[in-house]
Order: sequence, then structure tokens, then C-alpha cells
Amino acid sequence: MKRTIFSSPKIGLFLLALLVVVSFPFCASVPPVPAETRIVIFHSNDVHGKIDNFAKVAAIIEAERKSNADVFYFCAGDNFTGNPVIDQYDPPGEPVLELYNRLGLDLLCPGNHEFDYGLENLEKFAARAHFPFVCANIQAGKILPQLRPSVVLETKGGVKIAVFGLIQIEAGNGLPSTHPDKVKGLVFSEPLAKAQEMKKLRAGSNVLIGLTHIGYDQDVQLAGQMPELDVLIGGHSHTRVDPAENVNGVLVAQAGSDNRYLGRVELLVRNGRVVEKKGTLIDLKGPLAEDAGVKSMIARFNQNPAFARVIAEAPLEISGKDALGSLMTDAMRRVHGLDIAFQNGGGIRLNQLPKKITLKDIYTLDPFGNQVVQIAMTAAEIRGLIKSSFEKGGEIDLQVSGISYVVRSDSAKQVKEILLREVDGTPLAEDRKFQVGISSYVASAYNFAHADPGRSLQSTTADALIRYLQSGADLSIYHDIQRAFWETTAAAPRP
Amino acid sequence: MQIKVNGQAMEIFSGAKVKDVLRKFSRAECKLVQKNEKMVCDRHGHEVGLDGELNGGEEFFIKECATEPRP
Repeated sequence: MKRTIFSSPKIGLFLLALLVVVSFPFCASVPPVPAETRIVIFHSNDVHGKIDNFAKVAAIIEAERKSNADVFYFCAGDNFTGNPVIDQYDPPGEPVLELYNRLGLDLLCPGNHEFDYGLENLEKFAARAHFPFVCANIQAGKILPQLRPSVVLETKGGVKIAVFGLIQIEAGNGLPSTHPDKVKGLVFSEPLAKAQEMKKLRAGSNVLIGLTHIGYDQDVQLAGQMPELDVLIGGHSHTRVDPAENVNGVLVAQAGSDNRYLGRVELLVRNGRVVEKKGTLIDLKGPLAEDAGVKSMIARFNQNPAFARVIAEAPLEISGKDALGSLMTDAMRRVHGLDIAFQNGGGIRLNQLPKKITLKDIYTLDPFGNQVVQIAMTAAEIRGLIKSSFEKGGEIDLQVSGISYVVRSDSAKQVKEILLREVDGTPLAEDRKFQVGISSYVASAYNFAHADPGRSLQSTTADALIRYLQSGADLSIYHDIQRAFWETTAAAPRP
Repeated sequence: MQIKVNGQAMEIFSGAKVKDVLRKFSRAECKLVQKNEKMVCDRHGHEVGLDGELNGGEEFFIKECATEPRP
């Protein structure tokens, strides 16, 4: 008689035991769930205070919630900095908090600009948020108790969605792109390395998502290294990814910036595993339905009374580019502890500041949102910058603080000599480097040689001016003031 | 940090944004992008915003807007 292996009691028992052993980890790691679940995850990133489209976002999410039980809303960071209405709110960023609470945000991965208002403010923000912060490569200790490396969300039917967060760090200092003082006490680690530790979340969950603020390029790298992921929802690079890309089996999504788009990721989970996934962007510029309640909140926030508040009083109006430029460069230099600061004439957009100076006046004077850039420069390099600026228009362009200068040119406006002097009139040392502050516009638009590439101080020139004025600066000096001079020498007689 | 624009390597200050490196590459091209007459794409072909933040080693390309100005 022929026997199959199953007919042998010993072998059959062995195979049964083997089946139990082999299937045990699977049974343990994948919870029992409904046969099929459709999950929709809306996502925003890099809103940067642009709140006006949130009434449309609210209406879209609410409509989806009416037809589907398993709807989530994630934010991939950088809600602050970029709209004075939000940045100057009291407390800063408050409108974003209230809007996200109202919209039912489920998760926030902090971006580098979440720290721009300082840790104390972020702690207050987090304490009042109805949603957790998630980021695996920040060790915050007791500073931000709401911050977790990862969270596990659950659908109504019990599908488990593990989500971890990641924030970018700069190659140079290992910190996110914000002012270093704003993240004191926090410890950051390299995001892609930290992500590898998150593979453990795969066990015990049905869906694994990275909610990141590291930029699309790094998201693509991460997807290449970590096929265990189902989805990466990102931010930081302001990339419009429509439709979301499949990279190494991982769906990589990002929704542009400034609340112009709402991302929508749809997952089909069958027998406990993601079997279908897709991501698209909803363009918010069209005539879409709006949530009336959220719309009225936005209207209220946009009437920020802080703009009319007087932040400083001068004994006289401050008039003309010499005086206004001197004020702006003094602010940049003193607030950031620099040796010298320059301000280009085109960046001074008012002819006069009134005696009672409001926030609105500052943002009218300096509306561009340019960053302060610090560069270590020699006297020769400073001359190169001044020469470049003079030759752009054949006149004095750069206002200055920390030194004075004289441009000597011929009658054809060809620069012959540039004299640099300390405040006390002595010539500027030729053998040392000075810490110079310029706007990001000057740093990128002016053609001048400098060995140090420089670094953004992650603070705007307008912010420096506001802080300087609020510090009680003596404004009586900004009258009949001149620090940059032009002397024309007569052309040499023709032989 | 070094960023490439249309194949040309540009040295730019750390913490720079897309608009900064674009302006350094060509102020005229930057203005066309600001006016929505051209767009900037990353090495993967996706459009990026002018305030997009940079990591060293990234690469961008200035392209004509295909059919209509971007929103």
C-alpha cells in the first residue's frame, strides 16, 4: 500500500507543528481585520501661514468623512513663517492651531520652521493641539512631551496604521534649518539612518507610513532603502508630486506648498495588507465649496489687530534711503551680532517712516521676506561687493552699518577706488575677516567673490527691524545721516 | 552648498531656497519663473516652488510651461 507523507502519523504531526511555528509570527504580527478596507489620507505640507484655502480643505475632508469611515488628515510640517498675519499673531501661529483643531488634523510631523517662534511657543502650541506630533529623529526629553517617534492609528474596523516622522537636518551643523538658538536642548539624528529603526513597526501593523519633512529627493532615497514602507508623505522641498510616484514599491507623495493643493492618498487594504495605493493632488484654486464656519475663522484671523499696533516712536519721521537704510542695517547688525551689514536700495520700499511706527509700516518698508545671510568677508571682498553694487546703476546702492565707505569713480562712473573706514574713521583692517550681514537677495543677485559661501540666519530682515525697534533703539540718530559716499574725479585731460 | 541649475554647478549659501539659487543662475530666468512663464523642476521631473528649501547636491531644470501658467 502506497502511503502519502500525510498518512504517516509522525510526519503529519511534524508538518502540523511546522505549520504552527511558521504561521505563528504572521498571526502575531498582523492583527485580524475586515477583509477589505478603503483608507483615505489627506495631507498638507509647507503651508507657511497661507490659511485662506483651509475653508476649501475643510469642505473636502468633511465630504469624504460623510461617505467613508476611515479618513485621516496629516500635515508634513512647516506651517509657520511666510505670512506676517500668522507670524505676528498673538501668540504667533495661533490661527494655524485653531484651524487644524477645527479640521480634525490627526498628525503633525514638525518641519524646521515649526521652531521659528522658539521652543517655548511650540510647547504651548503642542499642549493645545488636539493631535500628536510625530518625529523619530528628535530627542526632546521633557521639552515637548507631545512628541513621539511614531504612532499607531486605527480604522473603525481595526486596521492598524503605523506612522513615524522624520525632520531634515543640515549637513553642516546637524540641526534643522532654523536659528540654532531656537532648538537648544533638542538632539537631532540623521533621518535616513533613524528610519531604518522604524522597520520594526512593520510587525504588528497593517500599514506603514513615513510622514516626513526631509524633501522629495531624500524621500526617494528613503523609498529606495526601505521597501517595507507602504507610503511616504513628505514636505520641505515644496514639490508638486501629482500623481504620487511609486518608488521601489513605496508610494511617495508631496503636495507642493502654500496651501495651493491638498494631497489625497487612497489605500485599499485586503486581508490585512495594502494591495492598492494611489495619490493625487486636489488643486485648491478653483471655485470649490467652502466650509462657512472655517471661512469666518479665516476672515477673523486676517483682521490681525497687531498690524496697527505702534511698536516704536521716533522723534521725527525717518526719511530717505540713507536714513532708512542706516536703520535697517543697524537692526540687522545689532540683532544678529554682526560686524557689518548692508542693505540694497531696491529693498527699501518706503520713502518715509512715520513717527509712530506700526508693524504694517515695517512690512511695507521691507515686504520681500528676504533672509539675513551671514558671510565672513575680507576688506577686499567687501570692496568687491560695493563695486558690484555701484556698477549696477552707476550710483550708491548699498546702505551700510558698522563702517562707512567712499566710492571714487571717474566721470564715466568707472570705479577707481573704494575707501572703507571704521566708525571712528580709521581704515578698515585688511588682514582680518568681518562677519557681514546681507539679505538673501543681495547674496544671490549680486556678483561678487567671497571665499565663505555664507549661511542663512533663518530670520528675515524685517524681523530684525521689528526686534530692533521693539528693543527701544535710539531713533533720534536717523536724521541727516549718511555712511556711503560717492566722489567723482575729473577725467584726466587727453594728451 | 552646491546646487546644479540646468547642468551648471552653483555655490550658494546654506539655507538658501530655490529662488536664491535660480536668481544666482540668472535673474532674467528667475523673473520668468516668478511671472509663471517658466517653471522649475527637480531631477525627478516634478515642479518645485520658489520657496522650496534646498539640500546640497540637488539639481534643478528651468522649463517652459507646457500649456498654461502654473497656479
